[in-house]
Amino acid sequence: MKPEVDQILGLTAAQLLAEIAPLLPASYAQSSTGLLSIMLVFCAQEFDRAADIRAAENADMRRLVGELAAFVGDAALKTKITAASKSTDASLRISDLNAANYELRRLLIALQSHFEDNDARDAQAKIWLVLKTSAERRLLKLPGA
Amino acid sequence: MTDDISQRLAKYLAPKLGVAAVEVVNLSRIAGGASRETYRFHACYSRNGKAEDRGLILRRDPPASLIDTERSAEFRAYQAFHKLGIPVPEPIALELGSDVLDRPFFIMEEIENCSVASILVPDPYGDHAEKTGQQFFSILGKIAKADPDAIGLSDFDGARETSWLHEIARWEREIDEDEREPQPIARAAIRWLKRNPPPKAQKLCVVHGDYRTGNFLYDASGNIRAILDWEMAHLGDPLEDLGWALDPLWSHGNPARPAGLLPRDRAIAVWEEASGLKADRKALHWWEIFASLKGAAIWISAAREYSDGRNMDAVNAFSGWYCLTFHNKVLAERLSAETT
Repeated sequence: MKPEVDQILGLTAAQLLAEIAPLLPASYAQSSTGLLSIMLVFCAQEFDRAADIRAAENADMRRLVGELAAFVGDAALKTKITAASKSTDASLRISDLNAANYELRRLLIALQSHFEDNDARDAQAKIWLVLKTSAERRLLKLPGA
Repeated sequence: MTDDISQRLAKYLAPKLGVAAVEVVNLSRIAGGASRETYRFHACYSRNGKAEDRGLILRRDPPASLIDTERSAEFRAYQAFHKLGIPVPEPIALELGSDVLDRPFFIMEEIENCSVASILVPDPYGDHAEKTGQQFFSILGKIAKADPDAIGLSDFDGARETSWLHEIARWEREIDEDEREPQPIARAAIRWLKRNPPPKAQKLCVVHGDYRTGNFLYDASGNIRAILDWEMAHLGDPLEDLGWALDPLWSHGNPARPAGLLPRDRAIAVWEEASGLKADRKALHWWEIFASLKGAAIWISAAREYSDGRNMDAVNAFSGWYCLTFHNKVLAERLSAETT
């Protein structure tokens, strides 16, 4: 069985820190190498979860805008979010998931601003719940934390 | 590369130091953030027949700068606060042209035998946390207390009456220019900050702009020897720096102890005593949300610099990813609490 990508990234990070960084003379090169190894650790975390995070986030945003469409007075915005609530991801490629994610985020910004203007606090709370969940999902864990 | 810089630097420094010739030795790049390239070196020369060897720091503009900062303002901040007795390195020379080292730069004294805390280290100050914390928040209070007119910095960037609006506009502009994908949390933060203005500032002061753990040097006894990185210094509300210093990103994993130094209430009390000002809780709350938004804007710019290949410093990759996700979470928690 071949090593998985996240394992390769994690082990490369460890090798960089333990074997390469100490050989470097200047403190800038050493600290940069340390940071680069942390980036590899983050990449390892993201390799396993990237598609899942985006697919879940896109599903959450579609469900949310679909649920809130009924409360939107602005006809143009309502048409857009109703269409968005029925959209699907083109594939599980990160680039496709990101493209859909960015479109949904743009709509969410417009929708949140609309509900703030109308002081619709329940709708705002629902939006914040989705944003909070998204922010928590995307947090990165520092090595050793 | 460093040999070439050494030779050019030696030629430049001799008249600045008022000596016939300077030899630059042991020039090496050190970590110092992504907005300036930082080098340590020794200048060796003879003055009145006596050999001198001085440790100096070179801060040179990178090929592309993360945040467009005014290096002459940074240099003048070092000069003004050095005179005032705030622990900062003595500024030596400022060069705004590109003839000497290809890009603008300035030189200051090196404060030796000190440490800088990394935000990745859980407890960098150990048993000295209380002592260092007292000094950290007290020095910040003294910076807030200084009169910009009296120390010659009254022409710094900033708005006298509505500094909060000036600052939001600045960071919103950064996000407008640099965001690579829509940022719903940062956008919501900007709207909230505009809809809920803070109380009028108690006074106008010089805001350091990046006063936090990781931007000061401390010695083995826990004494703060130098406040660094004044590149974002400007005029504004004294609570801006306090809000930034209290931000959870700088807490070394323990938000109850801002900057990893003092319990929150004590930190604020030390600042109030040193500044002679009140940290009104409502106003401070606004400035803390602003601090996280400002952080998000800086990290969005860092991500852009890195992604565009304009500044490939690993710090930009780290802050554009880790720090942005961190501040998005902080902002989401704080702002969702405002609506529920």
